[in-house]
Amino acid sequence: MSAIIILTISSLLILFFGFSKQRGVILPLSFIALIASFAMLAMGNNFWSEYLTNMISIQSSSKSFALLICAIAICIFPFFHELIKRGNEELADFIGIILLSIVGAIIMVSYQNMMTLFLGIEILSIAMYVLAGANRRSVNSNEASIKYFILGSFASAILLFGIALYYAATGSLSVINPKLINSELYQFSLLIIFSGFSFKVALAPFHFWVADVYQGTPTLFVTVMSTIVKIAGFGAFAQFVLSQNSVLPSWINWFFAFIILASMFIGNIFAYSQSSVKRILAFSSVVQSGFILMGIINLDANNSWSLIYYLTAYALASIVTFIVVYFVEEQAGSDHLDSFAGLSKSNPVLAVVMSIALISLAGVPLTAGFMSKLYVLRNINSIGFTALMVIALVLAAVSFYYYFKIINAMFSPSGDRRWSVHFSYSAVLVFITIAIIFLGVMPGVLHGFLG
Amino acid sequence: MLLAIILILIPLIAAGLCFVSGKKIAPIVGLFGTMLSFFYFLYMLTVYNVRHELMYNTFFNWIPEIKGIFHVGIDGYSIIPLLLTQLVMLFSLLYALNSNSNKPASYFGLLLLTQAFLNGFFIAQNPITFYLFFELALIPIYFLVLNWGGAERKKAVFKFFIYTIFGSLLLLAAIIYIHSAIGANQLLSWKEFYFQKFPMHVQLYLLVAFFIAFGIKSPLFPLHTWQANLYSNSDKPTVIILAALMSKMGVFGLLRFVYPVMPAINVYQPTIITICIIGILYGALMAWRQTDMNKLLAYSSLSHIGLIAASIFVMNVQSIEGAMFQMFIHGLCVTGLFVVVGILESKSNSSNINDTSGLARIEPRFASYFFIITLASIGLPLTAGFIGEFYMLYGLSIDNILYSLFAGISVILGAVYMFRFYQSVMFGKLKNESLQSSSAINLNTEYILAIIALLVIIFGFFPGMWIDFAAFSFLEYSEYLPN
Repeated sequence: MSAIIILTISSLLILFFGFSKQRGVILPLSFIALIASFAMLAMGNNFWSEYLTNMISIQSSSKSFALLICAIAICIFPFFHELIKRGNEELADFIGIILLSIVGAIIMVSYQNMMTLFLGIEILSIAMYVLAGANRRSVNSNEASIKYFILGSFASAILLFGIALYYAATGSLSVINPKLINSELYQFSLLIIFSGFSFKVALAPFHFWVADVYQGTPTLFVTVMSTIVKIAGFGAFAQFVLSQNSVLPSWINWFFAFIILASMFIGNIFAYSQSSVKRILAFSSVVQSGFILMGIINLDANNSWSLIYYLTAYALASIVTFIVVYFVEEQAGSDHLDSFAGLSKSNPVLAVVMSIALISLAGVPLTAGFMSKLYVLRNINSIGFTALMVIALVLAAVSFYYYFKIINAMFSPSGDRRWSVHFSYSAVLVFITIAIIFLGVMPGVLHGFLG
Repeated sequence: MLLAIILILIPLIAAGLCFVSGKKIAPIVGLFGTMLSFFYFLYMLTVYNVRHELMYNTFFNWIPEIKGIFHVGIDGYSIIPLLLTQLVMLFSLLYALNSNSNKPASYFGLLLLTQAFLNGFFIAQNPITFYLFFELALIPIYFLVLNWGGAERKKAVFKFFIYTIFGSLLLLAAIIYIHSAIGANQLLSWKEFYFQKFPMHVQLYLLVAFFIAFGIKSPLFPLHTWQANLYSNSDKPTVIILAALMSKMGVFGLLRFVYPVMPAINVYQPTIITICIIGILYGALMAWRQTDMNKLLAYSSLSHIGLIAASIFVMNVQSIEGAMFQMFIHGLCVTGLFVVVGILESKSNSSNINDTSGLARIEPRFASYFFIITLASIGLPLTAGFIGEFYMLYGLSIDNILYSLFAGISVILGAVYMFRFYQSVMFGKLKNESLQSSSAINLNTEYILAIIALLVIIFGFFPGMWIDFAAFSFLEYSEYLPN
């Protein structure tokens, strides 16, 4: 709770600093706020929740999700230094908005009441609509913003409809210990609520916004979109499933299986033929969402760590890939595959970290991506969806194709001039890459850390 | 201290040193690393007790949440592929040192990385560890071919990569299934896996997954289409690893994984062996018609590996003895032959067999090494190739005389295409005068060829010890075979 308060206050302060001449304090202040909120979450007393009539509770799994969100935000944060290039007024706006979006994300993963959930989703989403349109003079950015806004509002409305039905079916907005008054209505509300969630985390067939929005949005903000929004979305999803476990109908597994299958097919097949790296990564994020959903099937308090592990692995790899895309875009002016040609010559560090991140996304052993896939696949196999596991793995061969297409391009011998990024950026990227490998070599560590 | 895991660590550390050291030092570090692991392995071998089932173990709970155990150790089956790996990697590195094409430090780092993962693959003692190295070994090879090699290397390596990944993902599915099926018990070693009794339809699915996974890696007949292009477009040190070691990964994987699905194999044996025999004959016939030396060797490899796979599928003591021995000898021969091709290519700047001729007169020593290796590859008596092929064909004939009859045709065809190759390159008129002026084989390549020629003759005269290794390792696991 203290984390939410710290972040809200500091984001408001930062918005005000935008008007003053004290702009140098914006980045340090926000970084300190993030660190402080991470520390508050880690110390973790649930002191405030009773004053809020138990509408929010940061405990056990929601605490892990919230910690993960803060940690990932801290990892991305050093790269926001690049925003200074865009001029000072904008810096304050964007940093303030990003901090607010983190507030929304933390609320989303720690709600105990459907109203709080909706509040969190809206705080996060509106922040994202603004970030998507950050390049005001670019047509693509405007398109992304409008598309995301219209489709996102639509999804929010659907979710709200589901919440209303949920209220009608259980007689309460609280998600704790639901008592079914009307079972059919409840099942219908589940369908609608899950569709709303699926939109937020870009699962097929609710993925239509993802490629255009990722392509149009400034790449630095795509990093936020593909990590924090996804963790928050899946965190909310997981919290809901965990709380409803006792009353979930059995067909819901088949519903999930359908969505997983659709995400695997659509994501892989659409990513196959793209030539823009951001679009490839956008469609691959649909596939990754499908894998993450495998961790949500049959979720209970004992195996939620596999979901958190997957989200960690995905978020780390995703930061590296999008940041590298950002730097390449800065140099070459586009995110087309051709701009990546010869990156191994022109900037070997970026090429190597990008390769390792892509290898992790593809799921080669000794990277975090492999372990996470192993966990979720074992999970769906253990509840009898062996055929789904085989299909998912066969389609994953396609994903190797497009991930390695990027690696192929980077290692092609086109002798470009050397360019480099600031040492500290490279250092952070290398650090994240080491974390990816470390999680893959010693997978037990994260679980031990979460307890 | 004798631990199998050190066989992974030595090349791994050497690879790390190669990556950080300069262009001048990296080859020396790399060579030192392979030498060290070679002699370390030889020392292990002197202490190894063939009747002892599993030695030099290391295991720990690697993935505690799902009881995924990392387990490496040396058993009878791993001895021969391990010896082959150390030898071939040494040759490959020596050859890389010799080719004066200015290889950067990362090249040697990747070679050493390959060795580490291959060693890990051959000493893996349970399916999860096995899969780990099965997929890891692909990554350095991918980068080796991607960065150094012929004109069409990118397309070729990409095809190979996607094929192999497809197979290994099927293998992963099978392993996850097996791992879940074993349930609460830990999957510590192969024996727990072999002990499983799966229902017939599950066995069939598993068999298909294994056949595709290892059939792509080997490659076996219908899954070989990546092979010829890749072999002709990779760098010679890389293609030596591909042909001599990566292909053994496939057949070795079959050997490790067929035990629990033996009942299904016995039911479908005629179909499976027929596929293998088609591959054997197809490979031999295709090799006959090739004019590109690399492709000729690729197809001859397809033929030989097909025979090894067929004898693994019939699974009796003679066929396994033959298969293990032939794995070793085929690895040596194909290394020697690719070194020969490398020398010929650098002499005439072409890989077409018609562009070189009459070399025997000006390079007599080279011609004689080449001749001995050719004979061993054909399987002439008193060379090592004969022992392996004889045992395998004999093992096949125990099940059905027709199997060995048809598979035996490949030996005749082998003589046809290898002698055609030898004849057109070595004899006839010296077409190209520039061949005469260019320098003879240098010291490095001469060492490689001489050692291989010597080894194939020595093993031809004294195969006993190695055959025994294979026989004992067969007995070690024979209790898990259905009667």
